[in-house]
Amino acid sequence: MYGRRASQLLGELAAAETGQLTVYNSDTFDQVIKECNEHNVQLQSLFRKMEEQNLDIQTTRNEDYFGAVIHHLSLARNKRCLMAYMYNRAETIQSLRWKIGKKLPQEIQEKLSFSEGEYFKNHSAAIDSYMSELDLDLTVDMIPPKDPYIQIRVLDDIGEVSLGDLEISLTRHSVHFLRRTDAEQFISQGLMEEFLG
Amino acid sequence: MEEEPMSVVFQVGANGVGLLDPGSETNNVEKGAKVDLPFWLAHDLYLRQATSINVPACFNQKTRKEIQADAACVDLRMRCPYFYELGCKTVPLVGDKSIGSFLLQAFSSRYKEVLSKSHSTPTTTASKFLPRLTKEETQLFEAAQSSMASFKKWRVGGSRLEKASILGKKRKTTLPIDPPSP
Repeated sequence: MYGRRASQLLGELAAAETGQLTVYNSDTFDQVIKECNEHNVQLQSLFRKMEEQNLDIQTTRNEDYFGAVIHHLSLARNKRCLMAYMYNRAETIQSLRWKIGKKLPQEIQEKLSFSEGEYFKNHSAAIDSYMSELDLDLTVDMIPPKDPYIQIRVLDDIGEVSLGDLEISLTRHSVHFLRRTDAEQFISQGLMEEFLG
Repeated sequence: MEEEPMSVVFQVGANGVGLLDPGSETNNVEKGAKVDLPFWLAHDLYLRQATSINVPACFNQKTRKEIQADAACVDLRMRCPYFYELGCKTVPLVGDKSIGSFLLQAFSSRYKEVLSKSHSTPTTTASKFLPRLTKEETQLFEAAQSSMASFKKWRVGGSRLEKASILGKKRKTTLPIDPPSP
């Protein structure tokens, strides 16, 4: 059936939880594009047929016309589905910059296509240049803080880190009292957790 | 939802689209052929007066009787996962005005059940009746549960900083440091 494959692509998107990425499905994507090309070929041949019979494409309503309409609608439908697929993934990719920062972990990197990877890099660079212009890190304090300092517990060996004016050694399971803005990025990367003793 | 099959009758013939009609021997669809088309195609062809649309099976008399008898027990997802949305979009196409009130009646009698179950059912037994809900009802069900969960979290108070959910799926497997003593 026309358009079935494109909707499978979207079904994949819908089946994943919101905010989660699935692996970029280049196989199905290419198949849909191929389908589009076939529709186009059929469309052109129907138009040619009508022209050969010296019929005006604008006004004739014969069987060839309706065949062409169906191909045209299927083409538009496929295009729409592909755009929706790209758009929804792009939205998720944008949100990654805010949630986990500049560096994407390997398992997420693998799910992106090449151009999506480039998109992320460029988007990230745009945000960075804006933030450096403002001289303000916009990605921290996403939730209004009650206290500028928090207690955290380190979940993974991070090593020596310089935070502001102090050098600090973040070893696993150690508990520290840090500035919230410093801790926030580590928490969202899953390297620390808030310690509620 | 746009993929839902609709039974339509072609008012015109169409060449080069034999794929749509599995019973057709040529590559064409004849005038008067009865074919199942996805909703998006059926809808656009209807607007061009190329097809007429039959009322989908999920709004037939049998379903209506079942809804009247005990709305909450009817498996609507099996009939159509987008029961309400399809219904709303079908009404202007088929000219059957009774669908509207039927949808309203079905929804209002099932809504109470969905809402009360979403708060009272433990996750283990929810699997019994969740498959009966349409997609729209499932969304309602989950919204009710998540709002309750957030309310509880807010009341207890707790860490508001969390790990990004996209990272949370895979846990790093670490070897146990202390082997269990025999």
